[in-house]
Amino acid sequence: MAEPSVAARSFDGEALPHLDTLYRVALRLTADPTLAEDLVQDTMLKAYRSWQQYRPGTNARGWLLTILRNTFINDYRRRKHEPVAMDLEAVEPHALYRSIQDTDPEGNFFSQIVDAKVIEAIDALPTEFREVLALSDIEGMSYAEISETLKIPIGTVKSRLFRARRQLQADLYAHAVEMGYIKPREPAR
Amino acid sequence: MSRLNCEEALAHLQDYLKQELTPDLVAEVKTHLGRCRDCEGYAKFEERFFLMLESRARKETCPHEVRARIVAALRAAAKDS
Repeated sequence: MAEPSVAARSFDGEALPHLDTLYRVALRLTADPTLAEDLVQDTMLKAYRSWQQYRPGTNARGWLLTILRNTFINDYRRRKHEPVAMDLEAVEPHALYRSIQDTDPEGNFFSQIVDAKVIEAIDALPTEFREVLALSDIEGMSYAEISETLKIPIGTVKSRLFRARRQLQADLYAHAVEMGYIKPREPAR
Repeated sequence: MSRLNCEEALAHLQDYLKQELTPDLVAEVKTHLGRCRDCEGYAKFEERFFLMLESRARKETCPHEVRARIVAALRAAAKDS
C-alpha cells in the first residue's frame, strides 16, 4: 500500500484526534449508535474532500463539528422521528435547587442515577437544547466557539444552555423521585 | 464596586462556573458568594451538576471498529483522488 500523501498525513494529525468528540456529538444528535457511526464517517469524508478549505492552526474541532452538524441537518434529521417542534423560549425553567436545598443541597441524588439514565435524559431534550449542552457541558467548548460552530449568536447559546440545564436537572430529579432515590418535597406554602 | 443582589448573582452563576464572565463580573459574583451562604450552596450544587455531566457523558468513545472503518474509508478516498 502506498504511503499516505502529505495532505492525508496533515488531515490525520489534525482531524483524527477529534474522532471521540465527533462520535459523542453524533450520538447526542441522532440518539442512535448506527446513525451516529454513519454520520461521523460521512463527516470525515466530507472534511477530507474539503481539507484545502481548512486553515491550518485554526480551530479544527469547531470546523469538523460545523460539517457534522450541517450533514446531520441536511441528511439525517428527517430520517428519525423528531419531537414535535416546541417554542423553546416558552419553557419556563424551574430552579431545582429550591426543591432540594433542605433535603439534599449537595445533589447527592445525582450519584445514584446510572450513566445510561443520564444519557437517556440528555437525549430526550429538544435538539436545540441537547446540541448546546453536548458542546458546552460535555465537550467543554467555550460559548464563543459554540456560537461560531452553530452559527447562532452568543446570547442564544447562553439562553439555550440555561434552559437545557434547568430542564435536564428537573428531568433527573423526577427520575430520582420515581426510583425512590430522593423524597419529593411539598412545595412551600 | 457595585454589589450584586442574590437574583443578579444567581443569574450569572452558570456563566461564572463556566468561566464565561468578564473579570469585573467574576469579582462581583465571587464577592457575593463569599458573603451569602444561600447562594454559595446554590453554586456548589450547580458545580456538582456540571462535574456529574462531564464525568458521565464523556466516558463514551468512538469504538475501535468504527475508527478502523473510517480510516479505511479515508485511505480509499485518498487513492481515488
